[in-house]
Amino acid sequence: MSKEELLKKRYRAEKRFKFYGLTSVILAILFVLFLVNVIFSKGKGAFSRTTISVEVDFNTEKLELKNNPTNEEIQDTDFYDLSIESLLNVYKTKGLKEEKDLIRIFSPDYEIEIKNFIIENKGFLNKTAIIELTASDDIDQLNKGNYPRHLPEERRRISDFQLLIYDKLVEDNKIQKTFNTFLFTNGDSRDPELAGVGGSLLGSFFTIIVTLLLSFPVAILASIYLEEFAPKNRITDFIEININNLAAVPSIVFGLLGLGILLGTFDFPRSTPLVAGITLALMTLPRIIIPCRASLKAVPPSIREGALAVGASKVQSVTHHVVPLAIPGTLSGTIIGLAQALGETAPLILIGMVAFVVDLPSSPVDPSASLPVQVYLWSEQAERGFVEKTSATIMILLTFLITMNAFAVYLRQKFERRWS
Amino acid sequence: MSEEKRIVKSYEEEMQSLNDDLVKMGSLTESQLSDTIQAIVKIDKEAAENIIKNDAQINELRAKIDDQISTVLVKRAPMAIDLRTTISSLKISHDLERIGDLAKSVAKKIEPLPIDLPQELTGSLKRLGELVQKQLNNVLDAYITKSKDKAIEVWRNDEQVDDLTHIAMNEVANFLGKNKKNLELATHLLFVTKNIERAGDHVTNIAESLYYLIEGEYLEGARPKGKEFVKDK
Amino acid sequence: MTNNKVKIKTEKLDVFYGQKQALKNVNLEIFNREVTALIGPSGCGKSTYIRCINRMNDVIETCKISGSIKIDGQEINNKQIDVVRLRERIGMVFQKPNPFPKSIYDNVAYGPQIHGLADHKDKLDQIVQTSLKKSALWEEVKDRLDEPGTSLSGGQQQRLCIARAISVNPEVILMDEPCSALDPIATAKIEELMEELKKTFTIVIVTHSMAQAVRVSQRTGFFHLGNLIEVDTTDKMFKNPNNKMTQDYITGRFG
Repeated sequence: MSKEELLKKRYRAEKRFKFYGLTSVILAILFVLFLVNVIFSKGKGAFSRTTISVEVDFNTEKLELKNNPTNEEIQDTDFYDLSIESLLNVYKTKGLKEEKDLIRIFSPDYEIEIKNFIIENKGFLNKTAIIELTASDDIDQLNKGNYPRHLPEERRRISDFQLLIYDKLVEDNKIQKTFNTFLFTNGDSRDPELAGVGGSLLGSFFTIIVTLLLSFPVAILASIYLEEFAPKNRITDFIEININNLAAVPSIVFGLLGLGILLGTFDFPRSTPLVAGITLALMTLPRIIIPCRASLKAVPPSIREGALAVGASKVQSVTHHVVPLAIPGTLSGTIIGLAQALGETAPLILIGMVAFVVDLPSSPVDPSASLPVQVYLWSEQAERGFVEKTSATIMILLTFLITMNAFAVYLRQKFERRWS
Repeated sequence: MSEEKRIVKSYEEEMQSLNDDLVKMGSLTESQLSDTIQAIVKIDKEAAENIIKNDAQINELRAKIDDQISTVLVKRAPMAIDLRTTISSLKISHDLERIGDLAKSVAKKIEPLPIDLPQELTGSLKRLGELVQKQLNNVLDAYITKSKDKAIEVWRNDEQVDDLTHIAMNEVANFLGKNKKNLELATHLLFVTKNIERAGDHVTNIAESLYYLIEGEYLEGARPKGKEFVKDK
Repeated sequence: MTNNKVKIKTEKLDVFYGQKQALKNVNLEIFNREVTALIGPSGCGKSTYIRCINRMNDVIETCKISGSIKIDGQEINNKQIDVVRLRERIGMVFQKPNPFPKSIYDNVAYGPQIHGLADHKDKLDQIVQTSLKKSALWEEVKDRLDEPGTSLSGGQQQRLCIARAISVNPEVILMDEPCSALDPIATAKIEELMEELKKTFTIVIVTHSMAQAVRVSQRTGFFHLGNLIEVDTTDKMFKNPNNKMTQDYITGRFG
């Protein structure tokens, strides 16, 4: 083969190689786009909620309320009759079946919603107010266009009569679509239109705080000791190998550890962020120690020598020079470790974070769910409303993870100081 | 000298070539000097012309060696033995060139000399010439073998050169004393004798340079001196 | 030599890194207010030697040092000597300029701060200024003391490191190939600086440049495979060394 041909062959090989590489990148991007698209198209519905305007006449006499009642007094009052009466006013009904159908187009918490409205707007006492009540999941889905109308009645969850009401309400402009704040403020619920990730958000938040408080100081001190002070011998080698091994241990094993020791031996409260935080801290520790040690190792020895040579003690050289230089690396390592912990599901299932918790946790020792577990729980539900909520939760979780990683990158760039 | 080779081959070659050129210049000078001595003894005017012509070769070599030394100094910043070799080479080549010049000016004096120079005048001159020639030969041998002892020997023998010069000059003086008409001839002969003696001095210089090259120190003590002609008077 | 006082004296100094012996029975005297150059091929122990003087080898766990190192007659190779105090007396400048990634001011002020040499800001300012002046850097940096030390050029960084070393007013400055990363101009400035510094400090410099050793030092020691082969005045060493090994090394014959 002549030199000329060889050269051409080389150029061709180079072009081919570039093409393969580019194809892989494009393929990977397409996968991600597909995934994001699926999640978004499924999940975007969860961010809106359908409401039906209902006229309510807050007659204090009928409600057997005093003038200027306190919140507690309103809370203790029975609003059921008032609610039913107001709901039935929406459409003319004949017979019990039609009444039931009418009431079922509303979410079952209509009484509480009405009560909460009057607590917040006491001025409407003895007046008539138009309240936007949450529609049931079926109406919500119908309104979002996800509901198959053309099926025969017996195969639909919505009766012909309910469809009639719906169409009339749409005609009267009494059906609204608003931003779904419930998604962020409510806890879990059996009714998809009322279910929210508020509980699991708080649960995840408390868990991460516990994990951070436990793992960060321990990891930093451990890595500084191992990197800067520990004598280099078999024991430290052994420790080093085991830290690496621990980082590779499947998270479910840590879940078993939490279950066996924290719940079994120490009797910690089940399903709580405290236990979850401790378990995840154990899991995260090696994963933080490794990048921390790496960033300490990346500090050039000349800096240590420079400090020692002007007469700094070992501790001074580490605290004055090495650690400040390693900070960006340690911080971003920690954040990425925490982000991993935030997305962890398996160990949490083992320590009972799968429980159905309606109330929002107010402290790390209250039972609660967490975001990834919430995804797992909802993905098992059949209702359409839960399907879109699952995707919405994934979106929220991803947003948190991306934000944390972005913060890690930002910290690294901001604090990174160059050394010659 | 170290028998180990230098790591940088071209440096090794440069030093080798410097050494070779110096040896070559030495042998050229040596043959010029011996030719001159022969020519003066035999009053061979043809040979004298050749000697005068050949001096250019020595000068050329001198220039080449100078250039080589400059190059080595700039390129290699020689140290220790190399530094001493370079510096001594510079000095030795200078001394050799001077010997060549002296031989040439002696050769120039052959032309006006009469063919029938009295034997009594050339006897001492011949002995002196042969001694200086032997001295030069010895010092060049010493240079090639880097022999410190030989260098010292040459240095010591300068005394004999001085003594012979003294004798030769006295003979010329006596010759002049016999007849004032001999003045011109005597002047020439004095000049020749003095030049040969000076060639001997340069040989001694070479011995000193060589000693410094080998030992890194200068030969101690005053140079051995024979009885000065002028003082003797 | 005008100063005949011995500043540092090592006797029967043996250094081991694990099984490997890095220095073998080194007996060397370093004289006060002189520049002593240590030359020799890589791995010959010259850097190890100067790191013994300020006990920087303590950092290396496997390093075992036996023998005597005396500074002004005081033995420093024992456990009783406080290395922090010792390194205040014996400054060091490294091969690669290694200023801290802090401001120029902080680089110089760090030593005096940790040793408590300045009790108030004015005193510290003064120390920083004197040190920078002594290291011939003041004119170049006086208007930008707040800029990071790493923003300076290589030669300036090395002079900053010298300023850092002299800021604690040491007696001895050890220099481990201080110019090997610098261009000829920067090297010339450092060499010029050493000329000035040797009036106040005793300097030991490890160098691979024999020309530099000739230029800056009054004495030269030649190391080979952990042995101190020869030590003499620089003049003697480079014109007419006694030892054949020294001669072979400096004339480029080393195999």
